[in-house]
Amino acid sequence: MKGKPARTLKVDHLARVEGEGGLHVRIRDGAVVEATFRIFEPPRLFEALLRGRSYGEAPDITARICGICPVAYQMSTVHALEEAFGVRVEGPLRELRRLLYCAEWIESHALHVYLLHAPDFLGYESAFHMAKEHPAAVQRGLALKKAGNELLALLGGREIHPINVRVGGFHRVPARRELQALRDRLEWAREAALETVRWVKDLPFPDFERDYEFVALQHPAEYPFNEGRLRSSSGLDLAVAEFEKHFSEEHQAHSSALVAALAKRGAYCVGPLARYNLNFDRLSPLARQAAREAGLGPSCRNPFKSIVVRAVETLYATDEALRILDAYEPPDAPAVPVTPHAGAGCACTEAPRGILYHRYRVGEDGTLQEARIVPPTSQNQRIIAEDLREFVARHPEPDERKLTWQCERVIRNHDPCISCATHFLKLTLERG
Amino acid sequence: VAVPRVIGVGRHERGDDAAGRLVARRLRERLGPDADVQECEGGAAELMDAWRGARQVVVVDAACSGARPGTLHRFDGADGPPPAIFRAASTHALGVAEAVALARALGELPAALVVYGIEGARFEPGAPPSPEVAAAVEALAARLGAEIEAAQKSP
Repeated sequence: MKGKPARTLKVDHLARVEGEGGLHVRIRDGAVVEATFRIFEPPRLFEALLRGRSYGEAPDITARICGICPVAYQMSTVHALEEAFGVRVEGPLRELRRLLYCAEWIESHALHVYLLHAPDFLGYESAFHMAKEHPAAVQRGLALKKAGNELLALLGGREIHPINVRVGGFHRVPARRELQALRDRLEWAREAALETVRWVKDLPFPDFERDYEFVALQHPAEYPFNEGRLRSSSGLDLAVAEFEKHFSEEHQAHSSALVAALAKRGAYCVGPLARYNLNFDRLSPLARQAAREAGLGPSCRNPFKSIVVRAVETLYATDEALRILDAYEPPDAPAVPVTPHAGAGCACTEAPRGILYHRYRVGEDGTLQEARIVPPTSQNQRIIAEDLREFVARHPEPDERKLTWQCERVIRNHDPCISCATHFLKLTLERG
Repeated sequence: VAVPRVIGVGRHERGDDAAGRLVARRLRERLGPDADVQECEGGAAELMDAWRGARQVVVVDAACSGARPGTLHRFDGADGPPPAIFRAASTHALGVAEAVALARALGELPAALVVYGIEGARFEPGAPPSPEVAAAVEALAARLGAEIEAAQKSP
């Protein structure tokens, strides 16, 4: 029997030149027969850019890969190179790195929750449509993001691409009073984050549970930022050095990105949902309590509820930042000594969107000979395509516009970083 | 005539995306370090912070509309919404247009705002600006520099 003609949905306005991401969905008889999610990934080009550069330049170069998560790129870089040189960074320097990560989670999650994700649930086309009727919420989101920016500026030297980080530690560390000056602001941010959890918990969530294989770092005592073993919800327990043995990447048509897969198991999910499911008991008591009050158990498998999980993680990041700030005693030196030599090292850290893997090979003189970078969004691509297929199958929608919008929502659940590349002023008006 | 704050938007090491920031640097060279000239990466929230407190603002960014490289686009905040269909959806690049729309919704738009977009040709990581964009940067910096100097001299 001949089916209905295939419908093709193309969502290309995600996109312009390299910064682009596009969604291409083919539907036949109410089922998605093809879901292609195109992204461009600058890390590939940066891998080439890094070769031949000195190890000391690496953290400032990789920080430029992404305007939203430069700290994650810097952190994976310095940890990988420190492993290559046999250096351990402990004590207050390690705590400052966690603090820097808190800043990045706060600003990245606040942006996504308030300006990108919330309008989907409240039925607005965009944050600025939402801002007219929910100005207080949008102002809170912007101020929360700004609190993250201020912390990042203090620790990182400047807001967007922190330049104060180096292999072995920092170029300069803050005095206790400098950090304390941000205390009131962070106290406010913690209240605002708590308010955020309460705000998002009652949003209308589609009924859509998925049986993901979650992959995240796990540390014995901490909710993970910089360090831990690679754990999965089906029992994987690996040292980061084993990453490439178990996770492969392959080229996919229509995408300059490589798509990651877990050996013998296929698609896996990284990011806030994965971290939360594997590390719920490592959240601070305040964050756990807020999660429970928001109706989340220790497990959450509905990707639409990732907005609640991001809010909980934002609360955790403010709480953890205050803990670090209060306990902080400046270290004797801003960095531990590093003697470069030939070697190789790798590291994974938890970027806001999930595990970010870096591996480097360094020559005798400290020159980078090889760089490998696996960003979270390429790891989540398969899950995103699977979500699209499942969601459309379970929620058939005859109206093309509505279906397109629903597909976009499915993608946004995973906060894909598809415009690491460039910010554009997209104009249709032409003059001159 | 009030002296505007100039905000150059974009990213270095992304080819022509640096256009706005190059204009800002040229202006600072011409007008001196005390000139009200800022640079930012162009996130909506950062931009709203950058123009807060200024009554008159000029934003310069790179543009990508398919026009001839080096083409200068211009829109005036008083003319209503930015002339393109901007979607907050799906990307992190909430840029200049989104900042204008968001600021307008929140009542935080500067009293006078003009946005220039310099049409780019290439945006690859590590690429230098194209010759067409470099020339457009010089031309716009000269024009804005002259306007600002005239405004500074006016009573």
